[in-house]
Parts: sequence; C-alpha cells; structure tokens
Amino acid sequence: MVEIEFRDVTKRYEDGTEAVSSLNLTIKNGEFLVLLGPSGCGKSTTLRMLAGLEDITEGQVFIDGMCVNDLPPGDRNLGMVFQSYALYPHMSVADNLSFGLRMMKKDSRLPDEEIVSRVREAAKMLDLEDELDKKPKELSGGQRQRVALGRALVRRPKVLLMDEPLSNLDAELRHQMRQEIRRLHDQLGTTTVYVTHDQIEAMTLADKVAILDNGILQQHTPPLDAYHHPANDFVRSFLCRHIDDIVETAQQLTKA
Amino acid sequence: MNKKSIFVDAYAPVEIAYLRLWLTVSACMSIFLIFIEWLKENTIGMQLCFVGLLLQLVVIFSLPDGKTSWKKDSATIASGLLIICGVLGLYASPKSIFLIWQMSWFIIPGLLSLYWLTSEFVTLWHYSRIDRKTAEKGLSRNKIMDIRLSQIGSHVILLHGVLCVLLPVLWILDVAISPGNALGSEIGDAFTTEHFEKILTGDGFWLWFRNSLLVSLGTTFFGLCIAIPAGYAFSRYKFRGRDEAMFSFLLVQMFPGVIILVPYFLVMKSLGLLNSHLGLILAYSVTALPLCVWMLKGFFDTVPRELEEAAMLDGCNQWQVFTKVVLPLSLPAIAVTALFSFLAAWNEFLLALTFNTSNSMYTLPVGLASMISSTGQAWGDFAAASLLVSIPVVILFIVFQKFLIEGLSAGGVKG
Repeated sequence: MVEIEFRDVTKRYEDGTEAVSSLNLTIKNGEFLVLLGPSGCGKSTTLRMLAGLEDITEGQVFIDGMCVNDLPPGDRNLGMVFQSYALYPHMSVADNLSFGLRMMKKDSRLPDEEIVSRVREAAKMLDLEDELDKKPKELSGGQRQRVALGRALVRRPKVLLMDEPLSNLDAELRHQMRQEIRRLHDQLGTTTVYVTHDQIEAMTLADKVAILDNGILQQHTPPLDAYHHPANDFVRSFLCRHIDDIVETAQQLTKA
Repeated sequence: MNKKSIFVDAYAPVEIAYLRLWLTVSACMSIFLIFIEWLKENTIGMQLCFVGLLLQLVVIFSLPDGKTSWKKDSATIASGLLIICGVLGLYASPKSIFLIWQMSWFIIPGLLSLYWLTSEFVTLWHYSRIDRKTAEKGLSRNKIMDIRLSQIGSHVILLHGVLCVLLPVLWILDVAISPGNALGSEIGDAFTTEHFEKILTGDGFWLWFRNSLLVSLGTTFFGLCIAIPAGYAFSRYKFRGRDEAMFSFLLVQMFPGVIILVPYFLVMKSLGLLNSHLGLILAYSVTALPLCVWMLKGFFDTVPRELEEAAMLDGCNQWQVFTKVVLPLSLPAIAVTALFSFLAAWNEFLLALTFNTSNSMYTLPVGLASMISSTGQAWGDFAAASLLVSIPVVILFIVFQKFLIEGLSAGGVKG
C-alpha cells in the first residue's frame, strides 16, 4: 500500500519566487498520476520535491504515511526517469541497470545472482537483451529511453517518477513508448507520477491528471472529467481548446 | 542566337584560383626573406629577393581571367623569369640548405605557374574555346583537384610550422651528438655518444633526476588531492565567499613570481623546509593550485547535474556520487591537470634555485644550470643532459595522449 500525500507544500527560491504554492495532493496506491501544465508551472519542481532533489520550503510530503521531508533521495525507494535520460556514460547498459542494486546498503543488498537475474528480467521486459554490453552512446534514442526506464524499474521502486521522459523522441517512437509505459504500469501496478506538458500524453496515460499553473493546482481529477468539466478558464483553454483543435484538424484531414 | 550555358560562365579552371592563393603566400614569404637578408646585411640577396617579389606580383596581377588576351602571355613570361631569378640566386652565393630552401620559394611557384598556364585546360578556357561539355568536364575535374591541391597547400604550410618548432630541438640534438663542446657546426656532420655517456655515468645527473622526480610526483599527487575536491566544491556548491575565493585564486597569478619569492623563502626558512623535498612540493602545489582548480572546475561544470541526481536516487551518498560517477567521467580532465602540475614542477627553476643550497638537493633544471658555469661551457654535455631531461616529459605525453583526446562524457545525456 503506497500512498503519497502533499500537504500544504510550498517551494520558494532564494530570490523569493514561488515555484509551488501550498499544494495539496493525494496519490493513491497504484495510481498513474500525470502532472500537467505549461513550462514553468512548477510541475517538475513538485516531482523533484517528491524525489528529494529539491528541499521543501514549507509543508510536508508523505509516502506511506511517513513524512519524507528529511529523507535522502536514495532511501525513499523511488525510481526516476529523467528527461535527458542521465545514463552513466562510462558504464555499460548492464552496469547502468544494476547500479542502483549494487548501491543498496549492506544489510538490504541483494546477492549477486539475484542482481544478475533482475537485470536480465528488466532487459527482457524492455527488449534490451542484445544491448547489455554496449555503452549508452552506442544506443539509439529509443533504446536509451528504455534503459533509463529499466534503470528506474529494476529496484522495484515503490513509486516511479518520470520527468517528461518522451520529449526527446520523435512522434512515432513517442507513440510506441507511450503504449509501452502504460503496459508496464498495468503489468507492474507501480504508483507512478508523470510530468508532461503534452495534453495528449496526459489524456492517454493518466488515471488522474493534476493540472498546474503558476505553482497553483487548478484541477485534480480523471482526464475525461477535466475535459468535460474544466474547473476554470485556464483548464478550459490549456486542455479543452487544445484538444478540440486537434480533433478539428483530424476531422478536416479525414474529410479531405 | 548562341545560347551559352551557365556552366560556361561559371567555369574557371581551379588552377587559376590556386595560383593566385599560392603566389600570394610566396610573395608574403619573399617579403619575409627580404627581411632576413636585411638582417644578414646581404645586399645581393636582398636585391634578388626583391626582384623575385616583383615577378611574383606581376604573375598574380596578370593571371588570365578569360577575357583579356595579353594577360596569359605576360604571366607566362613573368613566371619564366621567376625561375631564372631563382636559379641565378642558387649560383650567386655559396650553397647551403637555407639557400636551397630560400630559392625554392621562387623556382617552385615559377615552375608551377609555367606548367599550369600552358596546360590544356587553361589554354582552352583562356581563348574561350569552351562548350557546355568541356565546362562540365572541367567542373568535375575542378572538384577533384580542389581537394587534392588544398591538402598539398596546407601540408606545405604545416610543414614549415613543424620545422620552426623542431629546428631548435634538432639543433640541440646535433650539439649533443657532435664531438667537442663547440656550438655552431653544420648539422649532422659527426656523431659521438661521449656526452651522453659522461652524463649518464656521472652521479650528479641521477641524483638530480631522483630529486626532480620525487618533487614532481609529490607536487602532482598533493596538488590533485587539493584541487579535485576544491574544483568540485566550487563547481557544485553555493557558499558564502565562493566568487571572491575564485577571484582571489587568480589574484596571486597576476603578480610576477619573483615578488612571492622572498616571502616564500622566509616562510620556508622559519618552517625549516629549506633544502628539503617537502618544501618544494608545498611551494609548487600552491603555485599550481589556482590553475588546476580553475581547470577542474570548468570540467566539473560540464558534467550534467542530472547524472548526479540519478546516482543519488540510485542510493549513492555524496561521496559515492563523486567517486563512482563524477570522478570516472572526469578522468581526462584530471589527467590533463596532473600533467600540467607535473610539468610545472619538473621545469621550475627559480624556486628550486632559491630554496636549495646544497648540490645534493638540486633538481634537474638547477643542476643543468650549475653545469654551465662549473665546467666551462660544456655545451655538448649540457645539450645531452637537456635532452635526457625532456625524455620523461615526452613519455608522459605519449601515455596521456589517449586521455587528452578522449571525450568520455559524450552520449550519457541525450545527444
């Protein structure tokens, strides 16, 4: 049972700008939450606070009912996929995948055979079996993306965090990976927080979307509900009008 | 109506462009040669070079442009005269390698322009006997020749650069392998290993070598131990006084080293570190530190932050993030920095001379300097010793070359 709760969380930088203002948000066990919003709306900051990469100025973040404000990132049992993938360039794919397992504390460290079998399992799941000995720079964009995903999953994290993971891929690969990510989520049932500025990604992936603007939560609801019942003008123009435009374009294309 | 193709208008043999470029280069060379002859106070040489320069200019300005008919002839004649001028120069003064090189700057361009100006393609083009087919053929020929000629041209220039760099070394080598202790004989006229034998069998050299090696390795190790953490901290952490500290590092570098000499000496004296390896190691590490820290900081800045964040999420603590991710990625930069501080310590003279008063503590540069006065200008021994001194440095460069070139950081982040 993994539940994440943001309670009145505020992030203020030294120069006084507020990236996130008193955010209240609850993510249920096994849920796929998409944080959606335009650039600079504070969605990445929210994710990074959950990951422990940013300090929390005010408020508390709970994982499983425990306040994790002062827990170092490595002890939160999270997996994260970065926008730039952030693969370790000097390690092979296999080493990249197993690094998190090898870095576990002495008492909880897995035996070597278990590490090998977990890596093999992840590689099989993500179709990376032939690439295990390669260095990241020898891989294509889609493969790097899958290694990054595998590295996050191999520790069997409580929560999977993804920060615009698909924005460096071309349209076709993005489509494939979107389905892949959803499939993995259905298969593993890991609670997932996914940051994106892409409305379509949010609509197709999410169990629930949390729409942010200027660091303030605008609406937190299932995606279709947000589309049919936008809470305010911002959601209406950012989400509904955008999707309507796409639908209109698609209809024109099929008509022609 | 005679419909001319665009090929015909656009086509000009590539030789013309290259002649213009190369003759301009050789004209610049002629000016340089005139200057050298002036330094040598050689009036005939000066006049000869001046005539050569004029002829080169004539060729440049009368290169055929495909329209003016007299140009080709005058350029051909001028290049012929240029050859004659060069050959005359060869017979006018006593032969030497320098003279042959000097005159080839007239003869080779002259021959080349004569050959190209009378060649088939240029002649056809000059008299406008070009149809579409010839122009097309000429253009594809231009493309092939362009690559080859530009390679030849740049190699000639680079060769001169290499020669400028190597000449002093060659000279030293010649002195080292020539019998006797005289300077200024012809290069490569005699061979002996007596100087090397004398240096290698004497005890001074090996003692100084050991001192130098200890001091340089110590400096490298000690300097890196401080510079790596410092560079990392400056690159990653924000703290009070960070920018001021970075600047004050540079402040010391702004003064000439001599100013610091006296305070250093006093410090070393009161610490009792004169005539010791440790004293030199400390002093060298401190002087090399600013540059090392700046270099390493610059490199650490380029290591993406996300890599460290990923490592933190993978369960590394700060020390592990540094040793398992940042440090392996920075090996090339660390190698360069190590090399730099080693070289600085290996070649340093002034501090070593000031701090060490006993012959047994001399480093190689100081030892070499002491040879000059004590053995009455034994240039041969001196040259042999200086070659031996540079061997470790050369070896280091060969070993580290791989690191210097390798860019390990590529490919980790999207690229």
